[in-house]
Amino acid sequence: MKRFLSVKGLIGLILVGSMVLIGIFAPILIPPEAGTAMDMTSRLSPPSWAHPFGTDQLGRDLMVRVLLGTRLSLEIAVTAVMMSILIGLPLGMVSGYFGGITDNVLMRLVDTLLAFPALLLALTISAILGPNLQNTIIAIGVAFTPFLARIVRGEALRVAQMPYVEAARASGTTDMMILWRHILPNILPAVIVQATISIAFAILAEAGLSFLGLGTQPPAASWGLMIQASRDFLDRAPWTALVPGIAVALTVLGLNMFGDVLRDILDPRSK
Amino acid sequence: MTYVLNRLLSVILTLFLITLITFAITNILPGDVAMMIMGTQSNPEALAGLRQSLGLNDPLLVQYGRWVGGMLTGDWGDSLIFKKPIAELLSQKIVASAIIVVMSMTIALALAIPLGVWAAVHRDKWQDTASSSTALLGVSLPDFFWGIVMILVFARWLGWFPSSGFVDPSENFVRALRHAFLPSLALGLGLMAHLTRMTRSTMIGILGQEFIRVARAKGLSERTVIWRYALANAIGPVITIAGLQIGYLFGSIIVMETLFNYTGMGWLTYQALLNRDMPLIQASVFVIAAVVMLTNLVVDLLYVAIDPRIRLD
Repeated sequence: MKRFLSVKGLIGLILVGSMVLIGIFAPILIPPEAGTAMDMTSRLSPPSWAHPFGTDQLGRDLMVRVLLGTRLSLEIAVTAVMMSILIGLPLGMVSGYFGGITDNVLMRLVDTLLAFPALLLALTISAILGPNLQNTIIAIGVAFTPFLARIVRGEALRVAQMPYVEAARASGTTDMMILWRHILPNILPAVIVQATISIAFAILAEAGLSFLGLGTQPPAASWGLMIQASRDFLDRAPWTALVPGIAVALTVLGLNMFGDVLRDILDPRSK
Repeated sequence: MTYVLNRLLSVILTLFLITLITFAITNILPGDVAMMIMGTQSNPEALAGLRQSLGLNDPLLVQYGRWVGGMLTGDWGDSLIFKKPIAELLSQKIVASAIIVVMSMTIALALAIPLGVWAAVHRDKWQDTASSSTALLGVSLPDFFWGIVMILVFARWLGWFPSSGFVDPSENFVRALRHAFLPSLALGLGLMAHLTRMTRSTMIGILGQEFIRVARAKGLSERTVIWRYALANAIGPVITIAGLQIGYLFGSIIVMETLFNYTGMGWLTYQALLNRDMPLIQASVFVIAAVVMLTNLVVDLLYVAIDPRIRLD
């Protein structure tokens, strides 16, 4: 617990904590129509008392939109990463534990998938399924699965060689039981660390997808979409890009810092 | 020799798997290529005829065989949106992207190695904190955000570089580099962050080793110890990581080339995806994955060339 109190850990914890709180409470406290309410008389107005973060090209309040966007970004990223865990965890565990031909075939497939840049894979899947919220999650989830499967496989391989696993095997415990009772709990720390860092990457991926128009669709208050819309007004209203850009940066920065500290605590070997 | 043969066989197998995965991904599509060509308003008979002539009614395995067969014989088909042979399109665009990839990698390494070494030499001091914070900030910002900042600062405000377009290097080499500079810089900054962290941790490991202490005890200058002894040993892992980043780079060029309207592979792939130009999607996704895979192979071999202690067999 002490190590969480390092400057880095503390900043990470505060950033992640604030984002989670904003993600939970912003949609409850802010009426949903506030995010899409247009005011053509105050288009692209700079930060002021009435609009602390300024307004966009349709006169929508950027602070409201960036706060509402927090839920969307976190929701997409967390669900996508959970999906990649759901597929990657059993794959990696089976591969690492059983080894042999299963391992060879599965890992050859995973290695080939790793040759596809994650963003390209996500973009392709999203374009083919048709860009919307649900397909964005599927696209990112599938694109991240090979990374997770690789890490889980390495960990499972290491744990499978431990004396207590051998002992369990010798005493006649079934493979299923060993996977569940011995392998899973021991690889969980590495999975948690990887998941934290993956959420950071998933937020960047979602922003990238939406920025290209192949992710969440307007009028949703997605950070990537907001940055995309700002492109034509950069000269006159740089805040329209800076505000959502800083929101992405703070969230990802927080997750990366938190992930680094979490790794030092949960997975001391990698220090 | 056995190693090289094994690697070659593995490359062929992986290329085959890449075609299989590319084909599988693009064929879960609920859309209809024939309708994409003729439009949604076209009459059903004409659609059926086109479907027949394109062989879309054939079993998937036959379609796959035809696609791979065509690629092996150099017939990659035509793009639906550009109405041009795909092989010709790809060979033009890949040169444009190669410029950006090489340029951004050069920028990233030129910044990351000194910064990483600086941080490692001054471990746990303010220099280390400054360098690590810069790196952490770099990985936390989407690279298209850097791209937007570059456009704003270097193109709009200062007017030093063009903010969009591609110039063929055979027409005007200097102008070609000027057009490629801003997207490369934006990509390089994102890449630099990863590489700085890697250089730092590798250098810290090496600086703690026996031979460094011996070199210092011999009275060699600190400059020689760090740059000639320590860095020479750290460069291998750093280049390996840089090679592995090629995949990340090829994902990012899609965003960056689109942002800068730089008509390379990334831009082409994006146009294909946006317009659901199925033959072009298949070909460009395949080419990018193949390039990433082959680059990783080259990096592996390069690693051996740089570090003679590593034996292939």
